[in-house]
Amino acid sequence: MRKFLEIFSLETKAFVRSKALMMLLVASIGWMLVFPLLAKGDGTAAGARELCIRYSLGGVFLLLVVSLLASATGSLARERAAKRLQLTLIRPVRYVIVVLAKIAAHVAVGAVVLAAACVVLAFKTDLSVPCSHVLSPVLPSPREEARAMYEEYMKDPETPEAVKRTKKEIVLRLLENRAIDHYQVVPTNTTAEWTFPCLPSDDRSVAVRMRFSAQYDTRQDVRGRFDFGPWSAAVTNITQAVVTIPLSPSRPLTLSSSHLLTFANFGSSALMLRPRKDLNVLVEADAFGWNLLRAYAALVAILALVVSFGLFLSAGLGRPVAVFVAFVTLAVSEMSPSVVEQYPDELETNLVDRIGLHITRFAAAATRPVSAASPIEALSKDECVERGAVLRLFLADAFAVPLLLSLLAAFALPRKQDF
Amino acid sequence: MTDDIIVLTDVRKTFRDFWLRPTVAAVDGLSLTVRRGEVFGLLGPNGSGKSTTIKMILGLLDPTGGALRLFGRSPRSVAARARLGYLPELSYLHPFLTAKETLRYYAGLCGLDRRTAARRTEELLEMVGLADVGGRPVGGFSKGMARRVALAASLIGKPELLVLDEPTSGLDPVSTKEVKTLVKTLAAGGMTILTTSHLLGDAEDICDRVMILNHGKSVAEGCVDELGASLEDFFLAKVGKADDFKLAEFLKG
Repeated sequence: MRKFLEIFSLETKAFVRSKALMMLLVASIGWMLVFPLLAKGDGTAAGARELCIRYSLGGVFLLLVVSLLASATGSLARERAAKRLQLTLIRPVRYVIVVLAKIAAHVAVGAVVLAAACVVLAFKTDLSVPCSHVLSPVLPSPREEARAMYEEYMKDPETPEAVKRTKKEIVLRLLENRAIDHYQVVPTNTTAEWTFPCLPSDDRSVAVRMRFSAQYDTRQDVRGRFDFGPWSAAVTNITQAVVTIPLSPSRPLTLSSSHLLTFANFGSSALMLRPRKDLNVLVEADAFGWNLLRAYAALVAILALVVSFGLFLSAGLGRPVAVFVAFVTLAVSEMSPSVVEQYPDELETNLVDRIGLHITRFAAAATRPVSAASPIEALSKDECVERGAVLRLFLADAFAVPLLLSLLAAFALPRKQDF
Repeated sequence: MTDDIIVLTDVRKTFRDFWLRPTVAAVDGLSLTVRRGEVFGLLGPNGSGKSTTIKMILGLLDPTGGALRLFGRSPRSVAARARLGYLPELSYLHPFLTAKETLRYYAGLCGLDRRTAARRTEELLEMVGLADVGGRPVGGFSKGMARRVALAASLIGKPELLVLDEPTSGLDPVSTKEVKTLVKTLAAGGMTILTTSHLLGDAEDICDRVMILNHGKSVAEGCVDELGASLEDFFLAKVGKADDFKLAEFLKG
């Protein structure tokens, strides 16, 4: 532990005495204070709040990801190039301790800067605003739905032979994309129902967030009624709008209350919605202050993952190559999900496109923990950053993955024959 | 407890390029043994493989072939590294740390507790004559002062084996003499010392035994007294004469 603390202390001193920590603090606090003055929202207080949280805290997080990744990626490589690393490696200290201490120091610096940004945000926003648990309907996974569709599709005599000859994996992927965007039609004067995982056990406020569509994307009137256990609400709106409708208790909550959310369409035209994307039940959770705290923990965990990846690269590669690989990976992690979503399989007739898509899909899958884990969007929409999700993220991103990468880095460190 | 501190058997080191093609055979079939309590000198011209040999002994480089044992173990084992001190050719200190912080950092890595680390730091700074400037960042030190801090850092863990790579490099004549006296004192106290140098006078003064390397191979090994009246003459006879550099011809044009 003493050796770990010595290296940790050396790294943090380097951040403090090189003034890097101070510059990061000044830039972050400055951005948190100045951005709300420059940003133009949609004219509503809620819109301004969302904009402020998303881009001010998001900006600080982006700054930290980029600067700490650059620093971590250069850390061991820079010391190796300056020949200082050899003086540490010949001491009786395990290589994995060297890497872990450096990761911890970088994460500590990130945590301090992020904490300062969160304190500024806490002073500028109302901490008592409640956030909401976001419940989604219980549905088979898109993969399961795709498999069921595939079986039916293959039995259908009208399915073209060319499709039947296509590899199952490709057809399944196309069907899975279709399942995610699968529209459910609610004809006029009928009632649609969706099962939700649970009912709130007390008198917390409940709302439905939904977005109905109409055929041909035209604007139509929406008229109907939602019922969810003892709560209900009448709906009068138009299609295409994302609307949050508060539900009111219409009868007492009992143990036998159904988990079904029903919608009775009283309007003059059929309505459509994608249950996986367009329908949620919002249940009041705790205050924004607690949500900010959980989001902070999640962001620190993501920083730990980013930093440990940088140090892992730094252990085995020269600085320019490590920095290049780190930033390409970061860019790919941000871009590949949208590439995969927008270009599913139609381009696979061309070999080069096929190879490109395979690589992009692999990159999207491998970097999903970073690209999909950010809690800032949920925080800005006052959606609850769930405790379980934060715990899972912390265990994976701040413990398991950094430990694994540290072990790999410790293996590579003395084998990079560049002393 | 074995008396052979360092044992190299037919050790080879070939550097390779990006495509793993061999480029330089820095060390070629080297065998040597350094025994407890002796001062062993590795001598040779630039590029003869002295530093590469030392880095293999320190576990910083992997030998391409042969066997290498340090205290009877792999040089990478923590137990072997715990008994080792190393002074590199240049100081390579963290410029933002003070001399005291530098020594305490390396004391911490050697596993000394805080009180012992503080005491050893004071003692060593006193010994290398830097007690007055212990609170100044080493980035502002002259080359000679930085070298003294590095020497103190190499001794902080009370090593059994001290590896010195060109220990008098960058020092003025007074400091050079002090370092040589220090090495003799440490050796008299029972410390094993492996040193490289191309300053033959230094080696003659402090070494019990020397090995002369040329092109990665041992060309002579023995006690300083056994190698002849003048180590310099012997050295030039083994590795080539000064005029091999053709400097005079070059200057003539």
